Amino acid sequence: MHEDLLQRCVDEALKLGASYAEARFHRHIGSSMFTRNGELIGYGESIREGVGIRVIVNGALGFSASNSLSWESLREAVAEAVKLARSHAKLMKRPVELAEARLGKAKYEALCLKPLDSMGLEEKIAVLAEIWERVKGAVKEAKVMTLTASYSEDVEEKTVVNSDGALVVSRVPRVTVGYNFVLLHPQKGTLQRRFEFGGSGGLEQLGRWKPAEHAEEEAVRLEKVLLEGVEPPKEPVDVIVGSEIVGLIVHESCGHPSEADRILGREAAQAGMSFIKPGMLGQRIGSEHATVIDDPTIPGSYGFYLYDDEGVPARARYLYKNGVINEHLHNRWTAKLFGVESNAAARAMDHNSEPIIRMANTYFAPGDHTFEELVEDVKLGVYMRSYMEWNIDDIRWGQRYVGLEAYLIENGEITKPVRNPALEITTGAFYSKVDAAGKELRFYPGSCGKGEPMQGVPVWFGGPDVRLRSVKLGVVA
Amino acid sequence: MAERVSDLAGALVAEALRRGFEEAAALVWRSKSVMVKMFNSEISVVQRWSSLTVSLYLAKEGRIMVSTIHPSSIEKAGAIVERAVKVASQLKPSMLYAPLPEPAKVEPLPGLADKSVIDAMSEPEPLAEAMLSEADSLGVERAAGAITLSLSEKGLATSKGVKLEEEATGVEAYLRAFIGEASGQWAVGSRRLRPEELRRVARTAAELASQAKGEAKHVEPGTYDVVLSPMVVGNLMNLVGMMAGALAVMMGNSIFARVQPGSKVAAEKFTLVDDPRTPELLGSTAFDDEGLPTASKPIIEGGVLRTLLHNSKTAAKMQAKSTGNAGWIYPHAWTLSVKPGDATLDEMIREVKRGVVITNNWYTRLQNYVEGIFSTIARDAAFYVENGEIKHPVTRIRIADRLPKLLSNIELLGKELYDISWWEVSPAVRAPYILARQINISRPFE
Repeated sequence: MHEDLLQRCVDEALKLGASYAEARFHRHIGSSMFTRNGELIGYGESIREGVGIRVIVNGALGFSASNSLSWESLREAVAEAVKLARSHAKLMKRPVELAEARLGKAKYEALCLKPLDSMGLEEKIAVLAEIWERVKGAVKEAKVMTLTASYSEDVEEKTVVNSDGALVVSRVPRVTVGYNFVLLHPQKGTLQRRFEFGGSGGLEQLGRWKPAEHAEEEAVRLEKVLLEGVEPPKEPVDVIVGSEIVGLIVHESCGHPSEADRILGREAAQAGMSFIKPGMLGQRIGSEHATVIDDPTIPGSYGFYLYDDEGVPARARYLYKNGVINEHLHNRWTAKLFGVESNAAARAMDHNSEPIIRMANTYFAPGDHTFEELVEDVKLGVYMRSYMEWNIDDIRWGQRYVGLEAYLIENGEITKPVRNPALEITTGAFYSKVDAAGKELRFYPGSCGKGEPMQGVPVWFGGPDVRLRSVKLGVVA
Repeated sequence: MAERVSDLAGALVAEALRRGFEEAAALVWRSKSVMVKMFNSEISVVQRWSSLTVSLYLAKEGRIMVSTIHPSSIEKAGAIVERAVKVASQLKPSMLYAPLPEPAKVEPLPGLADKSVIDAMSEPEPLAEAMLSEADSLGVERAAGAITLSLSEKGLATSKGVKLEEEATGVEAYLRAFIGEASGQWAVGSRRLRPEELRRVARTAAELASQAKGEAKHVEPGTYDVVLSPMVVGNLMNLVGMMAGALAVMMGNSIFARVQPGSKVAAEKFTLVDDPRTPELLGSTAFDDEGLPTASKPIIEGGVLRTLLHNSKTAAKMQAKSTGNAGWIYPHAWTLSVKPGDATLDEMIREVKRGVVITNNWYTRLQNYVEGIFSTIARDAAFYVENGEIKHPVTRIRIADRLPKLLSNIELLGKELYDISWWEVSPAVRAPYILARQINISRPFE
């Protein structure tokens, strides 16, 4: 719908001396609501739209953005981006160049079986109220101190035009439902759980998620953890890391360190660097079971796209393959420096943001074990099903995940609940100690933060349950 | 000449009332900003933004709605009011509803805008060059960072007759300096541009990187005294400030969920102020989103929780008074200050028998907000201290403890204050170094 205007921006930039120009119309229309203990607190809507202009002039990069779609404003934004690039070009030691790429001329939409407006606000509020009702009724000895629930939807529309021939028009609707509750027991203290569902598509997802049922079942299990949880074993034990945590681990310790801009240091002062250095492709990082894939093209995924914001067609990227560092995430700039083709990882949060290298849907490849098979030959171990606290150092090597719902495994059987086991482990140790992976693959949504100004983009992370042999767990102080 | 932002806000409020809303408030920001991003000691990109942001609060029969838009024109902002009319009838009344407050006298806050920031916005590159060359002159091998300069006009109108506006500038600069594997990082945030401050940021980052040279060793997990730099204090005070928000308390996201104002929550020496009336601090402002005057006031004073941060709605719900911290829905801190002590950094280190100095951190996450169970990762220069002396750099450690314990175990505060703002510290915090006793330190299993 804005192709002509965007093409005009690109032509104007070239006329002003740019060797490359890109104009992206980018719009988000969204709404959200949240409740406390079943009652509505607030409802909000947001619209963000505008055009982001990125140019290369004399080997330097300039970016500017405009809310206004008037030609005068856009021409000003183009002139500004060119001026910004030109003014620091003299300081560049290594000019910015882009790798050759086969760019798309395409139009696509994420499938939306049940449109976002097919349910009224009252029905959406009722979805959240039901979460409260079910959780409140589920706990017996503890009390639900508070429960907040939230619903949000967003439609992201983009048109990307660049001077190398890309023209990609896309529309992706997304929905999330989340909850946060605190269970309180006078003697045992509190336990807190946050969880979110999210994906691209329409309201058909609510039927699959069944958020109230999910929350109720969790509350029942977590009350038991609060009341009966014991300390984790102090000696090294086998650990079955639940799918929810595995997903986060691969996002943090494979996806992030595989971002080629991070490897080159471009994010060094913000999101940090990478233990992966140029030249490390082919090096072993884990056992043969450790394969991690990032795939933007998964239908229904929260990080779904078919072309990136440079117009490059998306595909699955095998970042770690059978325990070996196999491929990085690239945009056209890093692809040029690494002598490869871009694998379509350039994404921008909105029109105000430059496209940078991002993950989409990162997951640990499933194996061939059932859950029972993973458990049956563990003599003494811990199964960590969910988490709350996590973090990782800025080179993505030392990481920590504190289990929320966790259980002791004794002689091949799940026995009693365990309270707050801390899996604090290096990336190398985690991937090396995986000796089996489950066959069931599950995904979880997240908003991944990177860049300056910070850009949050939707991603999925996932995996099966995996088993680690002989790991020492920490205890929360 | 562009229309005044308060007039634009006023027109939107009038439109909302005309369409049948009982109450309305509009905030209009018109802002310009420029950012120079650096890595490998050169500029990676220069970005410039010019934007109009409109937020609308609309209420009818206890139903409330907040919309935020970046419209391509102000007419488009009017269209959202039209849409809201249809939506409002489907909503249920908010459990948090209370009417917007009557106007109160707002003393303007002089000194929020600095002409030198506005002047530098047209050509910010020399500031970046100066930071990079300062770091370079101190033997830094490579440096990365960012400088952001901004100018924003904020206009507010409400259906109670409030009409206010304010112009403010902002400077945020930070640099991470590398020498081999060692690194140091420092930052500054202010409403004013002082080029010597930017050079001091570069110099501090370079000096920390230089001190951290040499083999970084592990320390064994256990309890240690910790000396935290203003960068780390800033990050942790963001958390305390967020938890002081009354809605965070109601939602179970706060260590203050089970204590009342008047309770002891920290060491006696510790005072934390929400400080919007100190104009040089980034985040300072004369009025909140409901049009009430802001006030600099202690959240924690002498270790005692003095107040939560309220807007009119949370105040009505909790039988308190608004503290001038609206957020129409979420009350929040504007900018935070920690009261200084009388110690120097050297004196703090001399007080430590077995401990660590942590100069920067990131990735603070919680297992449980009510109990404040958290961990955060030391980043850049960190040192092991024994018998009052720095022994060697340390690597890959975390603070993994409880926030209430950390606040209670503060023993010394530095006499010098630093204004910090960067990726991990927002809103900006004015903070000293602090020494806290017996804090749990962990490290990963290899």
